[in-house]
Amino acid sequence: MTDHRELDELLRAEDGDAGCSAGEDILDAYVELEIAGEDPTLVYPGTAVHLESCPGCQADHDGLLEAARRFSDVGLE
Amino acid sequence: MSEGHSVDRDSALWLERLRRGHPRHDETVAKLHDVLLRIAHHELSRRGRQLKSIGGPEYDDLAQQAADDALVKILGKLDEFRGASRFTTWAYKFVIFEVSGRVARHAWRTHPPGHQELDFERLPDSVAPRAGDRLEQREQLRTLSSAIGELTHRQREVFVAIALNNVSIDLMAIRLGTNRNAIYKNLFDARRNLRARMAAAGHPVLEEDAA
Repeated sequence: MTDHRELDELLRAEDGDAGCSAGEDILDAYVELEIAGEDPTLVYPGTAVHLESCPGCQADHDGLLEAARRFSDVGLE
Repeated sequence: MSEGHSVDRDSALWLERLRRGHPRHDETVAKLHDVLLRIAHHELSRRGRQLKSIGGPEYDDLAQQAADDALVKILGKLDEFRGASRFTTWAYKFVIFEVSGRVARHAWRTHPPGHQELDFERLPDSVAPRAGDRLEQREQLRTLSSAIGELTHRQREVFVAIALNNVSIDLMAIRLGTNRNAIYKNLFDARRNLRARMAAAGHPVLEEDAA
């Protein structure tokens, strides 16, 4: 582990981190931008920073992104 | 309803038919529940590593509970949908959160973190110096180890469990009787403190930390 990058990752605490609660509210909009091929980090920079550092929110994000892609064809008509 | 967002046609249809009194309400609720249940199963499978030794009926029960509770929340929050995403993506978020919480509670009941994951005596092997490491790197890790010992009790417990031993952040929230956001704040503060202490000791993680 003695690589600088690994240590930097282990101790990652960046300015502008929006925290968990802020991300919960906009996570659907965040993944929708990703699915549309747009860059969510421009619209939600604080959540983008947060997702790099929080394993719990990363897991929720990955699950929602996968669900939104895999179950995108559920329509009413 | 919207704050600068326009609701797409499919989303508007979901909202309309999920309203109580709509002639297709029950059918639409059943359709939503069906997809929530499929997502819950898929998400439980995706998070399988955290669900050690879970049997078929218990697994199905977890998925069912997550889908049921997500549905209740969605129906109670229809007025809060702002159209920032498709309705389905917004709705799926609730079942993902439900699964997330249930997986953590299940892990807490069946495999709570042990002393070896919570107590700090020395850096775990994944972080500890290796034979071929340069002297500077060894010094840096010795400083890190010492700095971990100087954290507050809460910061040390959270950092050691989550960052060093991969304990789930939600499991730590249950253990410490709080929520994910509060635990994340502890983790963030611990990381900040460690970086600062390492820089102050002349072993910054990155050059810019020393500035």
